Parts: sequence; C-alpha cells; structure tokens
Amino acid sequence: MLHKRIVKTGGAMITAAAMVFLAACASSQNQGNAGLTGSPDSSEQILKNEYPQGKTDNVRSAVDFDHELDRYEPKKDHYDLYFTYKTVHPWWDAVALGMEEAQRQFLDKGIVITYEYMAPNGASAVDQTKRLLEAAEKGYDVIGVDVADEAVISPILDTLIEDGKKVMTFSSSDAKEGCKRIAYVGNTHNYQDGVDLTEALCKKLDYKGKVAILVGSVGAPCHEDRARGAADTISKYNGMEIVATEYDMDSVDLAYELTLNILKDHPDLDGIICCNMSNPVGAARAIKEKKSNAVVVGMDHDEEALRYLNEGVIYCLGVQDCYSIGFDTIMIAVKIADGNAPGDLFPELTDEITTVIYQEDAALMLELLYGDIL
Amino acid sequence: MIKNRPLARTAIIGGIIVIAFMTANTFWSVRQNSDATNEAVSTVSSFYLEAMAERRARIITNLINNNFDQMKKAVDFIADSNCGSLEEFRDGIGRVKSLLGLNRFALVDEDDIVYTQYTTYTGGSRHTFLSDVSTHDRIITTVSIYGSSKQLCLAIPISGISFMGKPFKACFVQLDIKEIVELLAFDDQGQTHFALYVKNGGNLSGTELGPEIGEQNIFEALKGLVSEEVWNENYSNFENEKEGNIRFSMGDQEETLCYVPIQGTGWEMAVLIRDSIIQDQIRDVSERNFRTNRRQIGFTLVSVAALAVVLILQLKKLSKEKLEEEKEASRAFQNMANTDSMTGVRNKHAYLDNEALIDSKIESGELKNVAVVLGDINGLKHVNDTYGHAAGDQLIKDACTLICEHFKQGAVFRIGGDEFAVILQGKGYETMHDVMNEFNRTVEENIKTGSVVVSIGYSVLEKDDHSLQEVFARADQMMYARKSELKAMGAKTR
Repeated sequence: MLHKRIVKTGGAMITAAAMVFLAACASSQNQGNAGLTGSPDSSEQILKNEYPQGKTDNVRSAVDFDHELDRYEPKKDHYDLYFTYKTVHPWWDAVALGMEEAQRQFLDKGIVITYEYMAPNGASAVDQTKRLLEAAEKGYDVIGVDVADEAVISPILDTLIEDGKKVMTFSSSDAKEGCKRIAYVGNTHNYQDGVDLTEALCKKLDYKGKVAILVGSVGAPCHEDRARGAADTISKYNGMEIVATEYDMDSVDLAYELTLNILKDHPDLDGIICCNMSNPVGAARAIKEKKSNAVVVGMDHDEEALRYLNEGVIYCLGVQDCYSIGFDTIMIAVKIADGNAPGDLFPELTDEITTVIYQEDAALMLELLYGDIL
Repeated sequence: MIKNRPLARTAIIGGIIVIAFMTANTFWSVRQNSDATNEAVSTVSSFYLEAMAERRARIITNLINNNFDQMKKAVDFIADSNCGSLEEFRDGIGRVKSLLGLNRFALVDEDDIVYTQYTTYTGGSRHTFLSDVSTHDRIITTVSIYGSSKQLCLAIPISGISFMGKPFKACFVQLDIKEIVELLAFDDQGQTHFALYVKNGGNLSGTELGPEIGEQNIFEALKGLVSEEVWNENYSNFENEKEGNIRFSMGDQEETLCYVPIQGTGWEMAVLIRDSIIQDQIRDVSERNFRTNRRQIGFTLVSVAALAVVLILQLKKLSKEKLEEEKEASRAFQNMANTDSMTGVRNKHAYLDNEALIDSKIESGELKNVAVVLGDINGLKHVNDTYGHAAGDQLIKDACTLICEHFKQGAVFRIGGDEFAVILQGKGYETMHDVMNEFNRTVEENIKTGSVVVSIGYSVLEKDDHSLQEVFARADQMMYARKSELKAMGAKTR
C-alpha cells in the first residue's frame, strides 16, 4: 500500500515536472503575448532552433485542451452572446469546441451562457456588416466578430461601440489599429507566422528559387498579414523570387485551381507559401497531381492537410490553438458583458500560440485532433 | 484351520485386485474427464467470447434504436409547442432533452443552422452528415473533430416544423462514446478485454484490448503476430462489417479474440480473452475433478480396508470358534480316553500319564511328598457269579463312591476290574492317615452290614525311590496284607 502511494506520489511528481517542462516549452514557443497567462518570450527562436523538426512535446503543446475558468465571479446568471466569423469552415468549428467547453464550465457554476455562432458560406464584409447590424438590434450582452475585412468592418464596430454595444474581436482577425472594440482574443502574430513559414521554406530551398504566395480572403487581416510577412522574408534573400500571389477566398477548390494555374505558368516553381487553412489543401492536391517538386508550407490543422504533411507533400504547417481561442473568447466575453475593461482581469490582446510542425509530427497531430477513425 | 488359510489369501488377493482395478478405473475416468473438460471449455470459451461481444453489440444497437425513437418523440413534442422567440425555442429543446434523456439534442434548419439548448450555430462544415440527411431515414455517423471526445451522431430527417419561418430539415443527437463504453463495462473480474473499432482498425473506445494490442489500431498491432493471410482476411472482415475471430501468440501466451459488427455503425465490437485464463479455468475444473476423484479413491480404499478388517476379524473369530470346537472335541476325546466309563473316574491310561508326570518330577527332585493308596474290592467274583454282572458292576460303582467320598483330596483312578489307585499330594497327602483310618473303620462296619468292602494299602515316596512304581509296589503289598486282615473279619476275599 505504502509502496503504491510512493509510486503514485513519484508518478505525480514526475508528471507535474513533465507538465511544468511542457508548459515551459509551450510558452517558449509563443510568439508574443501567449494566452491569458503568457508573456513575450525571446527564447522562442532559440527553442525552435533546438527542435528544428518538431518533437512529440512540441505537438502535444500545440493545442491545449485542458482549460479551466479563472476565479472571476460573473455578475449575472445568464449571458446572451453573439459571434460571427468569416466563413463556414472547419477552422472555426475547432474554435467552437473551445467555446462550448467554456460554456459547459460556466453552466457547472450555475451560469447559463447562450450564444449564436454564425457565418456565411463565403467570406463577405457585406454579409458580416448585415449580421452585426442585426445583432446590434437584439440586445446581446456582447457581440464578437472575426473581422472579414478590417477596412469595412472596423468603422462598423466603432459605431456599435458608440451606440453603447459591447463589442470584441476574436479568432483569426482583429480590427484595424485604432478601432474602439474592447478586446481581441486570437492570433496576434499573423505577420510573424508568415515570416516563420517562409523562413522554413527558404532554408529548405537553400535560399534559392521561385515561390508563389496563396492568400485567403481579400482584406482578411490575418491572411494579409501572413502574406506580408512572407513577402518581406522573401525579399531578404536575393536568390528567392515571388512569381505569383493569388487569393482563394477560403475555398479549397479555388486554391487547387490557382495552384494548377501557377504550375502551368511556372513549371519550375520551387515553393508555395499558403496563408490560410484552405490554401495548403488545394495546393497539395495540385502538387501531388502534377507530381511537382514544389515545397509547400502553410497554415492550420485541416485533416487533409495533415495527411499531406504525413505523406511529405506538405513540408510544414503552422498550427494555431483554436480550442484555446474559443475558450478564452467566452471567458473574456463574460467579463466584457459585466462592464469590465482590459486591464487586470484580461488583456486587450489575448494572444494564442502557433506551432510549426513537420512531417514527423503529422501522425501524432492527426491522432490528437482527429483520432484514428477513417 | 486347513480351510481358513486359502480363504484369507483369496480374500486379500481379491481385495488387492479390486483396489487396483478401481484405482485404474478412477484414473482412466479422471483422464477422460479432463480431456472432455478441455474440449468443452475450449468450445464454451469461443461461445462465451462471441456471446460477450454480441451482448455488448446488442446494448449499443438498443441504445441507438432507443435514441432514434426518442428523437421522433422529441420532434412531435416540439411540433406541438408554440415557441415565439429563440429563448422559448431553446427552453423547449432543453425540456425535451431532460424529459427524454437525450444527450445534446439539436435541430437543423434548411440553411444548416443548428439549434441546441444553449447555442445556435452554422453547422455545415462541422456536421458533414447533414448533407446526406435528405436521402436517408437514419444516419449513424462516428465523429471525432479536433481533439474533442469521439461521438456517435444519430440523425433523422424531419418535416413540418419551422421556426421564425424557416423549416427544419433534420434533428440529431450526439452520444459520447466514453459514456457508451461505460455501459459496456461488465464486471467479469478482468478476465476479458473489449474494445470498439472502426473499419480501419482504429480504436474508438479508448479501452485496452489486452496487454499486447492495447489501445493501438488493431491491425497495426497484429502485424507480425498473425500471418499475412489471416491479417488480410480479418482486415477484409472489418471493412465488410463481418464477424470473425483471431488467435495469436505472444511469447508463451495464447490470445483469442472475437469480433462482431454493430449494425449500422461500421463498428466492430471485439472481445479478447487470454488462453491462460481459459487454461486456469480448465485447471480449476480438472483440479476439482481430481479432488473429487481423490476423495472417491480414498473413500474406496477406506471402504475396502474396512471391509478387509471386518473380513479378517470375522475370519479370526471363525477360526477361533473352530479352534475352540476342536479343543473341546479334543478335550472330550482325551476325557473319554482317560475316564472309566462305568465309574466316571480316571482310568488306567490316565493313571499312567500321571505316573509319568510324577516320575519326571521325582527325577528332578521337584516332588517330595506323594503317596499312593491302592484299593481292591472284596467279593466281586462272588457277586458276579452269584448275582450276575449287573450286581457286580453296581458293587464296583459303590466301591468307587466309597473311595471318592473318603479321598476327596486325591486323584482316584480305576486301574483294573476291581482295583483303584489314589494319588495323594498336598492336603490329601497331609490328611492321608486320618482318611485311611476312617475308610478302614467304614469298611469294617460294611463287613457287618454286607455292604461294599474295599481293602486298601498305601505307601509314601521315600528318599531312595526313583519312581512312583516303587511306591505303588509297596502300597500293593500293604493292600494284600489288609485283604487278609479283612478276610479274617469275615469279608469275602474274591
């Protein structure tokens, strides 16, 4: 019995030590203000160099499924929220799972969170404007938006704020700088993600070659930022050249068609930088079909993309922690609904991590995210 | 005695043969029993595994059917309720959920907007099965999205219900597979392992199918453990939703697993048992049989031993009785040989035996005091001749009575037709003179009354004597002298 206890205690201590280590690794990989508890960490690049091909720990810490609400005591027992995002897409379904977990934890505390989580079938600033204005009429406690086009949507958000609505941004894209929205929860380092993916590609190509950039929706801040990061990085190397930049409007099929066209125009293409979730899937399909040697780097955790990564068709993927984005969005929305402003209770920018994973990480990531259920 | 010995020998040999036969028979029975048990348990274990798998598969099938039934009731309930606002509609869904025990019940409108108790969301990309809902009566889908728990989604198309002008096209429930697994966990003391698999062999339940396969993809785990042919056959079974079983060994351990399809899900329910557990059960059964048979053997041995003891005791008793009878007969024969049939006293033969015995004692110096009294009946010839032999015989009997009455402490022998001898030792020897005197007085009186007259003479053992015969000779002389005296007193001499 005593022996068992010692083993258990020892096991717990080892586990705790491992968790501390993993947490340290995870926070080290943050690019900026990591989550609600993290802080900018200059050791990130050092760690990336130390684990250039990704490790098991790297994969496991890429997405944090283990969340608990903080000690904040909500002022009401029912909150009604409204969220709208760019387009119906699996990336935001992953965000939804984190939101549902936070909602469930609030429910356990006796606080009912009801919300709408809506998007059009294709990204559209016009559609998003319409949704926001309709939501503003319905008396939601908080309106959250994943900005489809910062130029169009940011003024709308300012108007809503001026009308006394509580508005936040979340997931992939914030409003433009200077917007009066209360807070943002999501990826704040899209530009850096574009830089990191492109650096990996350039290194792989030995800093020589022709590359194309696939972008998502026109005007979508996250996609545009990554594309800028990619372009800026390419421009650093004389041997590298951008031969095409195309927008797939978050459509896999369009990404596929665009890649075929690029390959047709540039059969000697050496690489493709993909700035959203649909880009790498469409690009990999075309690359595989055409048996091109172009190196594909891209974003996110699409199952098909992860399988291409596993096969070696895609070289690396930047995986964002969508689950944490969803969880933190609900938690902060409740604080905003209670009239709190960014400060001690929550930051104005809640950053979430992006982890670059490689072929050897793909199988484990597939298992973690999708299970083995073909 | 001559007859008893072969009887005992026969009994013992017979007993040994019976014991040997019974022991051999018992061991043969045990072996037969053990073989039969092995075969039976092996067969039963296959049935057992199959039954366990089918039982668990049935639970899931029942759960699915029950949820489909409940969904139809939920749709009827919602159709009957008038919900004006989204809040009322959500409350309605909440009531239906708790009333019918439905887990994560949702309605889907024609734009793939999903309505649950707490949320409304665009679900086209999340619930891909919704695109098939119009063409199927029932949709059963296994879902695992982005690290969430694996779920079984059950959906049915619906019509005739709308909310805020938008008709609903389907409803669905999501069952957490972990909760399904908990329903399947029977307490069988950990003797069997079970796991749910999808068609490619991926483990859906998160349960370990024994130590070798664990939670791995079953076909990944079986590579190298079974032949390619077996592997392919079972892979095909999974793909085609068929049942089957697999045997493989790992070290010295044999494993058997059995799987059955769960209708409509594309799942296979596999149950595994380690052969050592079957062997342990067989051993338990065999040991119980052995124990029973050992008890039977022991009981038989004890019974036979008890029977033998009883038999031997009986034989011994019988022998003893026979011996006693023989001794008695011998004694009777001896008595007959040593007894005078007319008078009942010992005869000449007995006297000679006694004389030999006394002679040996005289020779060893053991005997110092012994006397012999000789008596002769007076007038026997006269009585025989005058009154017949019957009267003579009576006279002999009377004379014997007279002698016996006086020499009560001596041994009386009839050593001839009218002659008696009395050997006196111990008390008889000590009172000899008084008895002699009394006897003589009686005889002298008898002369007067015409009763029996016996002339007696006696002699004692003297220092130089070497045998009783010497004493006898002197007593004989004295007896003849007395006969003369009595004749003088009027007694008949012959």
